[in-house]
This record gives sequence, structure tokens and C-alpha cells, in this order.
Amino acid sequence: MPLISQDDAETLRTIFDERMQDDVTITYFTQRESPLFIPGATECQTCGQTRELLQEVADLSEKISLDVKDFVADSADAEEMGIERIPAFVLQGHTQGAVRFFGIPAGYEFATLVEDLVDVSTGATDLSTKTRDALGEIDEDIHIQVFVTPT
Amino acid sequence: MAIESPHVTADVVEASEFPDLAQRYRLYAVPKTVVNDKVQVEGGMREPQLLQLVLAAVGGDEQSES
Repeated sequence: MPLISQDDAETLRTIFDERMQDDVTITYFTQRESPLFIPGATECQTCGQTRELLQEVADLSEKISLDVKDFVADSADAEEMGIERIPAFVLQGHTQGAVRFFGIPAGYEFATLVEDLVDVSTGATDLSTKTRDALGEIDEDIHIQVFVTPT
Repeated sequence: MAIESPHVTADVVEASEFPDLAQRYRLYAVPKTVVNDKVQVEGGMREPQLLQLVLAAVGGDEQSES
């Protein structure tokens, strides 16, 4: 049973068709889903569902592709992207810095994901000139974390 | 901001899945924005406010408000 309703899928398809410009890759870090119980291994409760949701999103546009990586097997990639917990995904496209999501993108986070997919595909933002100028002056790392819960 | 600047990493974190983070950042109310583990604001914010938060973080000032 799909996680995104047919109506919502149609709406999203339209949004992506009208607003997306260049390709975006969602690089998704998860754990290998296995029916086996491995003693001592931490189970990622939402990894499977997150993967399903991201696949459904990717299926809504030819410009969105999903690249699934295993947190353990692809640990070098995880380390390069600074991923220390899963589920986590990174949007790759027209972005100079990193746009990352942690946890299943439900509720408000899903709307943010949709907007970010569009923005990363165009590289355009609504930031004011003042903000752009201020960011241009900063040459140290800035880590912004926005904590949300599904609503 | 991350799209605009190579120095910015922007994370959206679904707090209920990471209780250790909820505890670490004392997430009694969301949304909550934390910059460089130094400054934080509870509640939604507009661009000018986020810019102030970022500037406060790189300026080295400790600041938190709700």
C-alpha cells in the first residue's frame, strides 16, 4: 500500500513537473533490512518505511533519483557526508553546502523536503540580498539543525 | 542557506526518532533551531531571525531565547 495517496502523488507530480529544473539525487543511508535477528545490532525502526517513502517520491519525477547506501557497508560515504545516525538522506544537486534530513520525513518535514528538492534542482533561493551578502562574508563552518516532530 | 553557501550544513531532524538528541538539546518544544551547538531558538523563525542566529553563532556569543 503506497504511503503517498494518489491525490497527493498527482499534486506532487505537478509541482515537480512545473518547478524542478535539473536532476537531484537523494542519497539515502539505511541499514540492510533483514528478517534475521542479529543480537546486539540496533534496529532502525523507520528505515524501511523511509526508504519506501523516498522511493515513492523519486518515482514522481524523472529528475529525482534515489541512491540507497548501507550505513555499515558504505561507511566511507557516510563518514564523508558526516552521517552518524540513520535513517538519513542528503540532497545532491545545485547546493554548495549540505542539505540533510534525519528520520522519516513525515508531516511538516515532508513539505520541507518537497521545497528543498525543488530548490536544490534550481539552485535558486528566496534569500534576501542582505542574507546572501552576510553568508558570503562568513568563512567558518555553520551547522544549522532544525528539530521537528511529525504533526 | 546551505544552497547558497559551501560553509553551511543544514539539517532537519525528526526529534522523536532520536531521543538522545531530544535530551541533549532539551527539546521540550519544537521546532527548535540550533546553530553550531552554541545558539538556539524555539519556535518557527523568519529569515532575518535565522541570519541573526547564524551571525551570533559565528560571533562566538552564547545566546538562547524562546
